[in-house]
Amino acid sequence: MIDLHDIHFSYTGQAPVLQGANLKLAPHERLSITGPNGAGKSTLLRLILGLQKPNAGTITVLGKPRRRESDFHEVRRRVGLVFQDPDDQLFSPTVLEDVAFGPLNLGASRDEAVEIVDSLLDCLDLAHLRDRVTHKLSGGEKRLVTLATVLAMSPEVLLLDEPTNGLDSKNEGRLIEILQALPQAMILVSHSTRFRDQIAPNALALENGELRQID
Amino acid sequence: MHIVDGVLSTPVLVAGSAATLAGVSLGLRQLTLDRIPVAGMLSASFFVASLINVPLGPSSVHLLLNGMAGMLLGWAAFPAMLVGLILQAAFFGFGGLTVLGVNAFNLAAPGVIAWLIFAPLVRRASPKTAAIWGGLGSAFAVTLTTVFVAMSLALSGDSFIAAAKLVLLAHLPLVLIEGVLTGFAVLLARKVKPELFAALKGRQ
Amino acid sequence: MTGLGQAAGQTHFGIRAIDPRMRILAALAFGICVVSLTALWTVAMALGLALLMLVFSRQPVWQTLRRMAVMDGFIVFTLVLLPLTVPGPAALHILGLPASWAGLRMACEIILTANAVILALMTLVGSMDPVTLGHALHRLYLPDALVHLMMFTIRYVDVLRGEYLRLRSAMKVRGFRPGTNLHTYRSLGYLIGMILVRAIERSERILAAMKCRGFEGRIFLLQDFRLTPRDWIFTTIFMLALAVLLICDKAPL
Repeated sequence: MIDLHDIHFSYTGQAPVLQGANLKLAPHERLSITGPNGAGKSTLLRLILGLQKPNAGTITVLGKPRRRESDFHEVRRRVGLVFQDPDDQLFSPTVLEDVAFGPLNLGASRDEAVEIVDSLLDCLDLAHLRDRVTHKLSGGEKRLVTLATVLAMSPEVLLLDEPTNGLDSKNEGRLIEILQALPQAMILVSHSTRFRDQIAPNALALENGELRQID
Repeated sequence: MHIVDGVLSTPVLVAGSAATLAGVSLGLRQLTLDRIPVAGMLSASFFVASLINVPLGPSSVHLLLNGMAGMLLGWAAFPAMLVGLILQAAFFGFGGLTVLGVNAFNLAAPGVIAWLIFAPLVRRASPKTAAIWGGLGSAFAVTLTTVFVAMSLALSGDSFIAAAKLVLLAHLPLVLIEGVLTGFAVLLARKVKPELFAALKGRQ
Repeated sequence: MTGLGQAAGQTHFGIRAIDPRMRILAALAFGICVVSLTALWTVAMALGLALLMLVFSRQPVWQTLRRMAVMDGFIVFTLVLLPLTVPGPAALHILGLPASWAGLRMACEIILTANAVILALMTLVGSMDPVTLGHALHRLYLPDALVHLMMFTIRYVDVLRGEYLRLRSAMKVRGFRPGTNLHTYRSLGYLIGMILVRAIERSERILAAMKCRGFEGRIFLLQDFRLTPRDWIFTTIFMLALAVLLICDKAPL
């Protein structure tokens, strides 16, 4: 579903982050990525969605090579990214409006969007948060709602960037439960071995700008 | 610096509201929806920064930061200031309601003028020179706001002329403090994130 | 506390039960009406009306009055000069200068007006959740961009304030004690610069996150309001009260 080949990337004026990184994700496969701080794990996810463009290398997502900004519009509709900081993702006034934002962008009518939100929140057991104001949610609630905002678009692939940041063990348990029940292919960036083992035991390490298999 | 209800004469209130209306509509024309996040974040950060107590002798002052807002937001400073004033009046009891237009104009117009004069200088210069221009721009905007506030009072009746003079005098220390502080703020911003002053302009 | 993070009280009593749009319009009408009053006793009546609404708004009475008093502290220096500068028969002498009745009267009128309007605004509008204010202004046909700008500001004020407080405590634990000196001003300047840089960077991440969810230049607000008979009763009574104020103001006492 995702094929990164020989990716090189550096932020302008800084040392290279990725130097020949390769990654393949098959349908229903789950991969996790680890690596030291600043190794380029988040950058890798941003490259897949075209938020950053590589200096060299090819990005193939859902069967097509993706180069220009317009190539990535389809990718963003079909691949969901859960950001590291929920406050970056939840920008709408209320939970309902934030979860509905994606479906509305996909062309759903108002009523359809509200229906999608309601059935999804029910399914995730978050219905009680529907009319809450986003910035007043607790850290754990914010995290679960960000996941809902992405799932509302029924993505085929799910990219998760440090989803356990700031979660207590109870909410982490909820998150594990939800993720284990999902059918999507996933790429998980996480420092927590315990969490990786439960979601995506097949792990790659990102070191010196390259990805290698961990046994 | 916020004028309250009941002070200004009707012509001043009407003129201020009309000028703010014009400024806001110019500002909104610049604010396409993909620029709303950056403008909203800046507006929120000015809100937070203006709550900081800056010590001055035995007392303390709050910064206006309208020059900084202008230099970063351009015409969008008008809607940003108006939003800030609405929230302050409704939830903190600062300022007033019928004076929203005058207060927004007195803050935003000097910011926009500072943007026209100083923003190109800040953008082009080295960080240190940019800091000086940024500080001067801020001090200039605060001075101009003080003059506008004094004029709003003086135009509303001869009995306010003495008060207007007092406003001018009382805000001199703020002009200096605001200039120095924002100078350092610009210095840091230009070093850490050189493209900061092009944040809103870049995608025009 | 910033005041923009108060709990969303879903109470259905008194003022809070009234449609937010009506409350905004009522506050505006009240402001314009009170500013145009000329008789001292009608302005006092308006302040009384605002106080009455405060009692029925379930707003914390003392906290609201304290905020009002803070504002009075700010305007007092505009007003103390009035008795000295407005010509007229002297009421008393301050430091040997004559203070006129007319000036005293004018200062009183301003104090009463300013307090009545801000109190009514805090009671009618300040009692709603800031997000509700945004939704209501949207339904009152304010331009989209202005409403979204307001919503973003409301959304991120607390986040940024959290960032500010963390930076500030980090300074404190390293022995920073603010005073009137260049070191303080430099440090606070850097602090403000850092807040701005972080704000811009966060806005870039937010825009990226929005694009990931298919953002193509439109934001939607879904909240709807419906007017009930109660809203119309409130509005009618409120408008009648304003009419009474205006009539009394014109009537010779």
